[in-house]
Amino acid sequence: MGMDRREFIKSCSLVAMMGLLFGCRKVSLEALAAEPSLGQFEDEVKLAMSLSKKHLDLVRVPMPGMLDIPGASSVNRFGMAIDLDLCNGCGKCILACNVENNVPLVPAEDAGRGRFMHWVEMRGGAPLMCAHCGKAPCERVCPTGAANHTPDGLSAMMYKRCTGSRFCGANCPVQARKFNFNDARKLGLARQFNKEVPLRDKGVMEKCSLCLHRLQDDRLKFKRKVPACPADKGASLVCAA
Amino acid sequence: MFRALMIAGLALFLPGACALGYSVFQGPSSWMTDAHTFWGTPISLFVFWIGLAHAGTLLSAVFLALDIRLDRRTALIAELSTLVSLAIAAVFPLMHLGVIENFYMVAPLLDARGNIANVRSPLVWDFCCIAVYAVLSLLFFATHLKARSYPALDMFRKPMAWLLFPLVLWVHTVVSLDFAATFVPEWRGAFFPVYFIAGAIFSGLALVNLLLCTEGYRVRLLERLQLICSWILCAIWIWDYMLKGSFCTSAFVFAGVLPQFRMVSAIRENKWGRVAISLSILLGLFLERQFLVSPEFGSPASSSLGWVDWGLLAFSAGAFVLLFWGIQYSLKRFMEVDGSYFGEVDGSDMAEVEEAELRDSPVVYGVEKSKKGFYVHPWSSEEYYVLRLPLLVGFAVTIAFMFWAIERLPFENVEFSLAHVVPLLYPLIALVAVIVLYARAYFVQKVFALHRLEKIVAAALLVLAGACAGTFYAGGSSEGSADARKSASEFGDLDLVGAAWNARCATCHGTDGKFNEKFVREFYPVPQKLDLQRVDSLGVDSLVNVVLNGRGNMNPYAGRLTYDEARALVNYMRSLAVRDSAVAASAAGKQEVANDSTP
Repeated sequence: MGMDRREFIKSCSLVAMMGLLFGCRKVSLEALAAEPSLGQFEDEVKLAMSLSKKHLDLVRVPMPGMLDIPGASSVNRFGMAIDLDLCNGCGKCILACNVENNVPLVPAEDAGRGRFMHWVEMRGGAPLMCAHCGKAPCERVCPTGAANHTPDGLSAMMYKRCTGSRFCGANCPVQARKFNFNDARKLGLARQFNKEVPLRDKGVMEKCSLCLHRLQDDRLKFKRKVPACPADKGASLVCAA
Repeated sequence: MFRALMIAGLALFLPGACALGYSVFQGPSSWMTDAHTFWGTPISLFVFWIGLAHAGTLLSAVFLALDIRLDRRTALIAELSTLVSLAIAAVFPLMHLGVIENFYMVAPLLDARGNIANVRSPLVWDFCCIAVYAVLSLLFFATHLKARSYPALDMFRKPMAWLLFPLVLWVHTVVSLDFAATFVPEWRGAFFPVYFIAGAIFSGLALVNLLLCTEGYRVRLLERLQLICSWILCAIWIWDYMLKGSFCTSAFVFAGVLPQFRMVSAIRENKWGRVAISLSILLGLFLERQFLVSPEFGSPASSSLGWVDWGLLAFSAGAFVLLFWGIQYSLKRFMEVDGSYFGEVDGSDMAEVEEAELRDSPVVYGVEKSKKGFYVHPWSSEEYYVLRLPLLVGFAVTIAFMFWAIERLPFENVEFSLAHVVPLLYPLIALVAVIVLYARAYFVQKVFALHRLEKIVAAALLVLAGACAGTFYAGGSSEGSADARKSASEFGDLDLVGAAWNARCATCHGTDGKFNEKFVREFYPVPQKLDLQRVDSLGVDSLVNVVLNGRGNMNPYAGRLTYDEARALVNYMRSLAVRDSAVAASAAGKQEVANDSTP
C-alpha cells in the first residue's frame, strides 16, 4: 500500500467531509410519505375479499361467557350482533371499519400472502371480527397485560404496553388479531381518517376495539343528559349501548 | 485446531450477525413467518438452544447426582456448553419481539404506575424460570472451576446437582407450556413436557458427542444414550402423527433414521461418521422445531426459509463456536485434566491411564455401589445433611410467598392468585436454597474465599437481586418529592396542592389539567377530557372516589393519598378547569369581537 501520512489524512478528512455534507441535507431521512387515497383502501378491501381464506371459513367461535375478571361490571356488557339473514356480504363494513379505525394498507408483498390489517374480515361470506370472548385466550397469554378486558366486556389493547411478542396472535381461536409488520406511516400506507383513534406503531398487535371511542363518547353524552331529564335514563342507555 | 475453529466460527458468525442486524432493523417481516401464529425462526431457534442449554446441565448434574462417573473434562464441556447455549438462547426471544425496547415489561416488576406483567402468561413463567436457571447453572459451573483451588467445595457439587436435576425438568416443562397452554390444535397435549425434555436431552447428547469428537475422544455411554433417545423421539413423533396427522419428514429422516447408522460399526468407529451423525441430529431437531413453531410451515400462507433465517442459524452456530472455544481457551488453566476419567473413554492413550486408575481406585461408584450392598439410605446420605437447612429455608420462603400471593391483585386486570404462580414455586425453592447453601458455606463454614473481583461481582449481583425483589414487591418510585408530600398534608394552600398535582397527576393529566401528550399516546382509548362541564357533571364526590379507588386505566391511590388530600386534588383540578374555560371564553369573546369588527 503506497499511502503516506499526508494522503491518509487527506482521505480521512474527505470521508468526514462527505459525512458532514450528508448530515446537512435538508430532507430528513424519516420524511413521511404522502397519505393514500380512499380509492386505494377500497381496492384493498376488494382484493382481500377475493383472497378470503377457505380453510378459515368454518371456525368455532367461543360463546361469549361470563366475564371472569376482577372488577367486572354487573350492569353493562357490550357486544355486537350481525344479522346474517340481512347481510349480503358486500364488504362495505370492512371499508367503514378501516376508515373509522384508521386501519392501514399493506404492501403488495403482504397482500399477495393474504396478510391484511383489516379488523373485519370475510369468512365464508360473512363478516367476522374479534369476538371479545368472556375468558379471552389472547389476554391470558399476553405477557405484559397489554391485552386486557374492560369491566364492561371489551377486549381492549393498550398499544404502548405491547412488546409485540405475538403470543396473543398465536392463541386467538378466530385469528382476529393483526400484527403491524410494517411502519405504515413511513411507507405512506396509513391515513388518519378519524382523529379520535391513534395510528398504531410498527411491531404492536391490533384488533377490533368494538369502536371503544364511540362508546366513550356516548357514555359522556349520557352522563350529561342525566341531570337534565332523569326519566330519559333508560332510553339514552339504549342509545349509548 | 483452536485457530481453525475460531476462523470457522467467525465465518459463520459475521454473515449471521449481518442477518441479525438486518432483521432487528426490519422487524419480524424479514424472516419466515407463519400467517397464523406470527412466529418464526427466532422462536424455533430459541427452543432449539434452550434445549441444548438444559441438556448439558442435565447430563452433568444427573450423572453426578446418580453417582455415575463422568470425568471432569466431559462434565466441564457439558456445563460450559450449557452456559453458552443459554446466552445464545437469550438473544432470540429478545429479537423476536416487535418492540424490542419494551422487553422489560415481560419481567414481573411493578412499575410506578402499578402495571405488572401478566402472571397468567406462560411467557412470564418462562422468563422467571430461565433467569433462575441461568443463575444456578452459572454457580454450578463456577463451583466446579473453583473446586480446583478449594477442594472442600467439591462437597457442594452433589447437593447442587440434586437441586438442579428437578429444576432442569421443571424449566423445560415451563418452556413447553409456552406451546401446550395455548389454543393451537397442533400444540395441545399433555405429553408436551415429556416430548420437549426428550428432545432437549437428545439434542444435548448430540452436541456433547460432537464436542467430544473435537476433543479427540469419545464416551460410549453418551453415544448409546443418544441412540436410545432417538428411539424415544421417533415413538413420540409417530404417536403425534397418529393423534393429529402432523408429521415432519425431514426431522424424522435426519434425527430419527440417520442416527440408527450408529449400529453400523464402520460408521460408529469412524470419527467423521460420529460427527456426521451428531450434526444430522442437530439439523433434524432444528427443522423439527421450525415445523413445530409454524404449524403452517410449507403452506402458501407462510413464506419459505429465506437468507435471514439461515443467517440467524449461522449466527447462533458461529456464536456458539466462538464463545465455547473462546471461554474454554481462556479458562484452560482451570479446566486441565487431572487424571480421573470416566469408565469408557477411548480412542487415545487416555484409555490406558483410565484403566489403571480404575484398577487402583478403591472407591466404587454408581450401579456397582448398589450392587455390592453399599446402598445408603437417602435420609442418612451426606447430601441430605448439606441440603437440609437450605431446603427448609427455601420451602419456608416459598410457603410464605404462596400465602402472600393468594388472591392478590397487583393490577386491576391482572390476578396474582396462587394458581398463576405455581410454575414459579420450585425455581423459588431452588434459588433460596442455593443462596442459603452458599451463604452458609462462605460465612459460617468458611469453605472457600473470594478474590476481590469476585466479591465485587457477588455483592453487585446480590444488590441487583434485592432491587428486583423490592421492585417486585413495591414497584418503582411513585412517591412525590418531599415538597410535594409536605404540600399534600397542608392542602389548604392551593399552590401547594398544585405541587402535589404536578408530582402525582401531571404525568398523565398534564400540569394544566388538559392532557399530557405523552399520556394520549400511551393509552388507548384516550381518556375523557377533564373540562369544566365534565368535572361538574361528575361531581366532586364521585371524582374523589375515582382518585381513591381507580377506574379503567386510572390507578387507585387509596393507600397513597388520604381522603382530604384526594379532595384537595379534585378541587385543584376543578380550579384548573375553571381557569381553562375562562381562557376559552375570553378567546371566544375575542373571536366574536373580531368577527363583529370585520364587517
